[in-house]
Amino acid sequence: MDLIANLATGFAVSMTPANLGFCFLGALIGTLVGVLPGIAPITTIAILLPFTFSLPPSSSLIMLAGIFYGAQYGGSTTAILVNVPGESSSIVTCLDGHQMAKQGRAGQALAIAAIASFVAGTIATIVIATASAPLTWLALKFNAAEYFSLMVLGLTGSVVLAHGAPDKAIAMVLVGLLLGLVGIDVNSGAPRMTMDLADLGDGIGFVPIAIGMFGIAELAVTLGKVQDRSLLAVKLKDMWPSWAEIRQCIPAMLRGTALGSILGVLPGGGAALSSFAAYGLEKKVSRNSAQFGRGAIEGVAAPEAANNAGAQTSFIPLLTLGIPGNAIMALMVGAMMIQGIQPGPQVIVNQPDLFWGVITSMWLGNVMLVVLNLPMIGLWVALLRVPFRLMFPAIVLFCCIGTYSAGNTVFDIWVMLLFSALGVFFYKVGAEPAPFVLGFVLGPMMEENFRRAMYISRGDPLVFVERPISALLLLMAVVLLVILVLPSIRAKREEVFQE
Amino acid sequence: MKLRINIPDLAFAVFLVALGALALALASTLSVGTAAAMGPGYVPRGLAVIIMIYGVALGARAMVAGGVSFPSMEWRPLFLILGSVAVFAILLPVAGLAITSFALVICAGFAAYDVRVRENAIAAVTLAAFAVVLFVVALGLPIPVWPW
Repeated sequence: MDLIANLATGFAVSMTPANLGFCFLGALIGTLVGVLPGIAPITTIAILLPFTFSLPPSSSLIMLAGIFYGAQYGGSTTAILVNVPGESSSIVTCLDGHQMAKQGRAGQALAIAAIASFVAGTIATIVIATASAPLTWLALKFNAAEYFSLMVLGLTGSVVLAHGAPDKAIAMVLVGLLLGLVGIDVNSGAPRMTMDLADLGDGIGFVPIAIGMFGIAELAVTLGKVQDRSLLAVKLKDMWPSWAEIRQCIPAMLRGTALGSILGVLPGGGAALSSFAAYGLEKKVSRNSAQFGRGAIEGVAAPEAANNAGAQTSFIPLLTLGIPGNAIMALMVGAMMIQGIQPGPQVIVNQPDLFWGVITSMWLGNVMLVVLNLPMIGLWVALLRVPFRLMFPAIVLFCCIGTYSAGNTVFDIWVMLLFSALGVFFYKVGAEPAPFVLGFVLGPMMEENFRRAMYISRGDPLVFVERPISALLLLMAVVLLVILVLPSIRAKREEVFQE
Repeated sequence: MKLRINIPDLAFAVFLVALGALALALASTLSVGTAAAMGPGYVPRGLAVIIMIYGVALGARAMVAGGVSFPSMEWRPLFLILGSVAVFAILLPVAGLAITSFALVICAGFAAYDVRVRENAIAAVTLAAFAVVLFVVALGLPIPVWPW
């Protein structure tokens, strides 16, 4: 069996003591930062990104993946205990999770969240491992035109699923694409839009943009809001759910996993969409649906399973096609490129150790979250008691040091400052940063494939619709956009994001 | 008189037009080439023009879209947090990591409305020491610690 041989290759990499250590460290630090209210997983990853750069590529990606799951899990902890969702994917966890906490069942809620995440993570790892090989085979048949169309589809997806106004999300994608082009043109060697600044030769730094927009800007906006932090006391003694409760949750977990695995692969999809959809589904099909919103344990299990499955399968387009489906994956692309890895189908072919190592480490990361986080809930609760006024200067400091250390230049700090200010502006006018970051990362790749396709077709733009796969991808993008402007679906979409 | 302009949308539109114009000006020296053999300026200029047109369209709609005023700004946290980043950028090359970290935390700390001066000072000293130990001693980052 190829699959088993591949997984064995992977575990040989991910089970080395050093990589196990980095996986653990990532999961731990990710949870640590993710627990802080108002700090979303993407912020956590952006802040911690620079500290993984000095590691070898596989360790660095393993640690980043660990940070990702840790952050996700930390967000759920905050949602249950404080009723402050770290990000949109934990909003639905708040509904029943916090109700459970109010009824003195916080321990069970946290435990079931961890168990559901673990079950989903295990299944999703297998899904990734089986889906990757055929997709990679398909991707190797892709030409410049197909790649371009695929990126168009990915960006369209990010617009459709953006929380804010879609018209502004489109503009943000365009702005991201444009800023991604700053720097020396690979084809001609000409410096483009660099204002004669030598520091911009390699383009605008990805790290200062990510940390500025998702780290500093978020903080500056969050601090302005009133913080409601009524922390509930957790009794840690009776934290394990009963077998009856776990059995009750199994169907919910499986449905959540299935839904999350599918939605995670979609361009622009991922954790947030999955958790909303799973909660909605569970509320409809559960025998216990009257209890939803009043502390139903399935209401925690289903979305937690779904968001973990979705978070994990959103790696599939990244690892096989090299296309990030959402902003978090865009950060991963940035990290890979800084490590000198060009994401895409050639990774699995040329560096199977790295590929399977990262995939198997995802499962190990999930094990660690269950084993380590449950006993550590007391520590996270203690952390939640530290006033935010002491917490955020430390975060600002780490953002600055992280940005500086990524390039060893103060120039990047100024870039970060500029994008922090821009990030606040975007927030105030209701334009989302996620599509921008996706556009920024994809900009150079998209231009290169566009130029190559047009060169091959001798300047005939019809090449994008004459090749069947490319045409299909573009058609899907058009359908997505049409769906977006249809009034009935639009109303529904707003309803979903309102909840 | 009732406000008829959507100010956040208009502000965003102005930003788009300004950015497009800036990009167009910066890319004006780059050769465009042809569709079959694109020069370095082809895509940047194309994008800049699209962004400007998009901005104009958004702006036109914002003029008649109905009154929305600009959301209120929390100037103190905004100014002090961004300020503390600027402090870091200015001080780090001349003062080293220890003093810079201390100054950043002091400055950022006052962004919170419930800041306590003594507590903030203690936090600044602790964090500065922690940053030096973690990043320079443990992780070995090449950052000078002191100004001398």
